[in-house]
Amino acid sequence: MAEQLTPTAKRVARRYAREIAIASVLYTAIVFAGAYAIRNLDLPQWLVILAALAPLIPALMMLRAYARFLNGIDEFQRRIQTDSMLISAAIVGFGSFAYGFLEEWADFPHVPLIWVFPALIGIWGLAACVVRLRYK
Amino acid sequence: MRNRLKVLRAERNWSQADLAEKLDVSRQSVNAIETGKYDPSLPLAFKIATVFGLSIEQIFSADDVAQAAE
Repeated sequence: MAEQLTPTAKRVARRYAREIAIASVLYTAIVFAGAYAIRNLDLPQWLVILAALAPLIPALMMLRAYARFLNGIDEFQRRIQTDSMLISAAIVGFGSFAYGFLEEWADFPHVPLIWVFPALIGIWGLAACVVRLRYK
Repeated sequence: MRNRLKVLRAERNWSQADLAEKLDVSRQSVNAIETGKYDPSLPLAFKIATVFGLSIEQIFSADDVAQAAE
């Protein structure tokens, strides 16, 4: 697959990998530090809220990296990415909507909202494989 | 949309990877355009035309136009 990349695509992929790696390291550090601080220190409520929202910073860095990646790749690859994102948004959006009713009305077990974003990313990855096959 | 990409490429002895490199797109992009699964944007169509030294109309034609001409 790598030999099929043009110099522009290689540069974009390298930049994306670098930015995602930095954001991932930061995310891990913030989550571990936040979890440790909340469990072991007697923090005031405003600091707990701040610690709980801190992982959002590297998550937004990942979003920025992805946006830059999307703008750097060629239009056909961008089409695959946006098609996949749309499929993922539809599945997770309607899935969580339906599950919300099941939780409320049919006593299904509660699923924390934190799983919505990982589900979005995971299904986007799977959808990208399917969409790619469609264009083969 | 129909296109003559495969023929034009063969005439010049270019592989899909060669054309992809000239257009600065992925080989999959060239394949998807060539097989009619993806219609390129106008800027990319112009770029393709420039690479082959032809006009867009000499490479691409709308399905209904091509059928009417047959």
